[in-house]
Amino acid sequence: MAQLFTPGADAIYRLALMTGVACLVGLPVLAAGIVRSNYVTGVGIAPAQPVPFSHKHHSGELGIDCRYCHTTVDKVASAGIPPTHTCMTCHSQIWTGSDMLKPVRDSYAQDKPLEWVRLNKLPQYVYYNHSVHVTKGIGCSTCHGDVTSMQLTYRANAFEMQFCLDCHRAPEKYVRTPDQVWNMNWKPPADQETLGPKLVAQYHIRGGARLTECGICHR
Amino acid sequence: MTGNPDLALLRQKLASGDGPRFWRSLDAVADSSEFRDYLAAEFPSAARLAAAPERRGFLKLMAASFALGGLTACGSEGGRNFEVPYVNQPERIVPGTDLSYASSAVFDGFGNGILVTTRNGRPLKIEGNPEHPWSLGGTDVLAQASVLGLYDPFRSQAVQHLGKPSSWAAFRAALQAQMPAWHETGGEGVALLTGPVTSPTVAAQVARMRAAYPALRWFVGAGVGREAIYEGARRAYGRPLETLPDFGRARTIVSLDGDFLDLGPGQVGLSGRWSAARRGAYAKGGLLSLHAAAPTPTLTSAKADYGVPVPAGRLEALARDFLALAGGGAAPAGDDPVSRWARGAGKALIEARGAGLVTAGLTTSPDLHALVHRLNGALGNTGATLRHTAPVAEQGTGSLADLADAMERGAVKVLIVLGANPVYDAPAALDFAARMERVPLKIHAGLYYDETGAHADWHLPTAHPLESWGDVRAVDGTVGLIQPTVAPLYNGRTLQDMLAFLTDGRGSEGGEDALGLLKARWRNEGEDAAAFEARFGDALRRGYWPDSASATEAVALTQAVPPSPVPATDGIEVVFRPDATIWDGTHADLAWLQELPKPLTKIVWENVIALSPHLAEREKIATGDIVRVEAAGRAVEGAAWILPGQDADTVTLSLGYGRNVPDHLSSGLGYDAATLRPVETPWRLTGARLTKTGRRRMQATTQNLGTMEGQDIVRVQAVGAAPVGDPKTAPAPASFYPPPESQDRWVAAQWGMAIDLDACTGCNACVTACQAENNIPVVGRAEVELGRWMGWLRIDRYYAGELDAPTTHFQPVPCMHCEQAPCEVGCPVEATLHDSEGLNLQVYNRCVGTRTCQSYCPYKVRRFNYLDYTGGMTPVQQQQRNPEVTVRARGVMEKCTYCIQRITAARITSAKDAHAPIPDGAVETACQGACPTRAITFGNVADPTSRVSDARKDPREYALLGHLNTRPRTTYLAGLAPAAGPAGREG
Repeated sequence: MAQLFTPGADAIYRLALMTGVACLVGLPVLAAGIVRSNYVTGVGIAPAQPVPFSHKHHSGELGIDCRYCHTTVDKVASAGIPPTHTCMTCHSQIWTGSDMLKPVRDSYAQDKPLEWVRLNKLPQYVYYNHSVHVTKGIGCSTCHGDVTSMQLTYRANAFEMQFCLDCHRAPEKYVRTPDQVWNMNWKPPADQETLGPKLVAQYHIRGGARLTECGICHR
Repeated sequence: MTGNPDLALLRQKLASGDGPRFWRSLDAVADSSEFRDYLAAEFPSAARLAAAPERRGFLKLMAASFALGGLTACGSEGGRNFEVPYVNQPERIVPGTDLSYASSAVFDGFGNGILVTTRNGRPLKIEGNPEHPWSLGGTDVLAQASVLGLYDPFRSQAVQHLGKPSSWAAFRAALQAQMPAWHETGGEGVALLTGPVTSPTVAAQVARMRAAYPALRWFVGAGVGREAIYEGARRAYGRPLETLPDFGRARTIVSLDGDFLDLGPGQVGLSGRWSAARRGAYAKGGLLSLHAAAPTPTLTSAKADYGVPVPAGRLEALARDFLALAGGGAAPAGDDPVSRWARGAGKALIEARGAGLVTAGLTTSPDLHALVHRLNGALGNTGATLRHTAPVAEQGTGSLADLADAMERGAVKVLIVLGANPVYDAPAALDFAARMERVPLKIHAGLYYDETGAHADWHLPTAHPLESWGDVRAVDGTVGLIQPTVAPLYNGRTLQDMLAFLTDGRGSEGGEDALGLLKARWRNEGEDAAAFEARFGDALRRGYWPDSASATEAVALTQAVPPSPVPATDGIEVVFRPDATIWDGTHADLAWLQELPKPLTKIVWENVIALSPHLAEREKIATGDIVRVEAAGRAVEGAAWILPGQDADTVTLSLGYGRNVPDHLSSGLGYDAATLRPVETPWRLTGARLTKTGRRRMQATTQNLGTMEGQDIVRVQAVGAAPVGDPKTAPAPASFYPPPESQDRWVAAQWGMAIDLDACTGCNACVTACQAENNIPVVGRAEVELGRWMGWLRIDRYYAGELDAPTTHFQPVPCMHCEQAPCEVGCPVEATLHDSEGLNLQVYNRCVGTRTCQSYCPYKVRRFNYLDYTGGMTPVQQQQRNPEVTVRARGVMEKCTYCIQRITAARITSAKDAHAPIPDGAVETACQGACPTRAITFGNVADPTSRVSDARKDPREYALLGHLNTRPRTTYLAGLAPAAGPAGREG
């Protein structure tokens, strides 16, 4: 009777075994990697918007305050997306014939809202309030990145739970003085280690244990 | 469960004291092995599942679930991918924040003050208007469910002509062709049928219409009318009148089938005033006692300190006995329960001359109302504890019976039905549908394409009150304003608009719109436009015209008329009642109300034929048997329900079911009681026959769900007796649980709730409010049968004492937020845990659905999403969801959160204001806000001056199942009972 297995069969068998083991370990790692990748989370990717609005130009170069458009950021939960009317306060006077701004003028003339692609999205079981963060010395750029350098706007952070908890566990590392909240280029000052805890006390931030309770964000 | 316990045995058991002192159902008293198995299984649905697959099957299922589990994470978040700002942002609307409008909820033409919370232009929630002089901040189930009514996908959405979609333009053209002829003949043959009308604007318009067409006849018809009240006053005082009790000045109340606590237009104002008066009497160490006799248990008779079942036919005789007693006669003799009750009630009335109050309900006879007026007059109560005012509802020129008669004679050429549904709710003897066929032109306008719509040539969709301008009067006459909170969803028109069109052929297209008509009605002659606008604006902000309540009328009793002979009766007596959740059927398509357990039977999704234990024994009928009630050649068939406290020979039929509109939610549920309603005595039918059909079908009921094991679940405090509450000085017993972590100084509050069982009337407003606020799904009849009712707040109804005339106790049970919560120990993934403000949190995104917490909870307040109850909702229904509360998915546990979204809002406001203390009352839970009797108090228990802390100092305060040492944050105040309580009521 002829040999059933060739001399190379062992090697193939071992290779198959090792591939199996590698897949068992590797596939979950790969899957976890894909889920966290910028491709899936959208971090750093600027989608096509109805108007190629440039934060870099408006807030960076022209120095328009965040609150000129996002009027409710320090008042209520949602920061607010400006109505077309806000765009037209300037653009009824300047760049009135620009092709790029045609959708804005059309929206205003036809009373049809602009539909912006949403960048920053939280799961539906997470409740975030802009106003309390802003009044407690957490700056825009902590979450949204340096918007003033974004030619087209993209998502700066993936907003996974870990991201929120970093700050809720140790607010003193991120808290700023009130005048620095709107500063998009803020870097922790050299004395953040001493300034941070002082600010936390000054803002009455409840710190560690309380801020990491589930009911703070989930309800 | 059989639903078929041996009633004689039960009666004996209860009488001998072997039975439970407080019991929920006959099965619980019988305590059969089947019932014990049911309780031991705890969750009937889960027990069934556990028994199903064998080991192999189980492993297969688990492998499949494991393999597919990850897929649930896939899928898009539909609808959230774009941000759509305004083009021009309206001044007051801030996206993502609440905006509240004062308006009125309409109940059978009557109004109650409400505040409508809107978000991004969508009405989401109804709150009571605390400034409204009649409703005082309370609401009822219908007001709470009206937001669902607005988004109801079953609402009529288009004009229909002969059952085919048409348009307003076509309708206008068709009518405009006809109207010159009406003008020529002065409206001869034109009949207008409306529901009850209290609106001054509508009344003025009808008057204008009748001036335009002098021969037009106006009929008012509704499933539940106030004819008996007005006719009773006519017999006593010679003219129709409203009666308004002043409980605050009364020392004793005698209710002869009264209904001041029952669902109805007056419920909110009356029950609020009653409980305030009772609280006032308790504060002075007394008791505002309530003596109630009723043929069938009602919420009013359930709250009685001294109650007795009595045949409806004997109520007049009782009133005459009292009248004789007031005139110096002897107390009624006899040793039956009714006579004993009458002696007690009579004595109390005589002792409290001028401070007593006798009341009769909407469903009693005009004769009884007249006798009650005479009795109150004789006792000196009229003008002291009650006052009369002119009728609030407008009187038409005839009744529904007159209209049917005119149609039969062929005298009606045009029938205009505005906001009524006579084909369904008129007594079957009037044969309304067939008679309508004799009318050449039939126009129907309503919120739904209902039975009448289907029989009409033209059906027109009306605007919902939340979409309309208008006005409406409360029972005390206060004129409430109705303002729209959203543009009409389906191009519906208001009643005012249609009346204006029918009068002048123009309506809002060319004439005044509803707002213009409203302003025109209220602008005084010669009033300056700017001054009026200021006055109108102020009234609109308040939600009512200040000082518009009806003035007290001076009354004088007319000569008494001899009593009409009482027909001799054989057979059983049938009484009719509006349904306790869907009223006369107008609201039958609202799923919240269908799934709301009826306060006394705890049945959902249908009506039953209620009968007494005596009658059940005699006729060998068990709960669930399909029985037939026959009279005058007509019959209804429905499921029997043995109801403790029902008069022995009385059978109760409830209205609102047996609807027959294809494809509607309400279609095919229950039986139609109108089949048997007599025309002359709409609430009572004598000489009916009751037979068994031999078929059986069990009802879906929640009465045994959440049965708790333990002692002293319900406590009753006899006035003047030793306190039944928990001792306040005893140290907390030792516990295995770690002590709560020290409270750091930035914790805003320690939340707690106190529920006053004496004030709770079981009205269900809180349950519906919770459903609206917290996105609680409706699961349907089959799921409720499996024990999967989802309400976060249930109201347990307990009986005590004898089987035939028990006392009734209501106990609302939300999550207790135990300081040492058993559920938290059970969770393997820490999805339920405490926060430092004492809230027992439920984290949906962590929950994996082991249901361990549910089985560990001794209060049975946790609810599990067995199926995807929230999916598959129509987009229009999704508009109602509260965006501040997570919509729960399949496979997660949920429960009462103490309205954490409202707490968070207050906490964030305080945090932004340098952590200023949250003022007492700044956080009001949905249930608390809805309660018309203010039975629920919520607040910071760490603050000794808060209202909830005050309530907890009451000696009646006790913890539910406190012996388990769970240290619940929700505690109860025991209900009150007279010092020498009747059996079953002693402390």
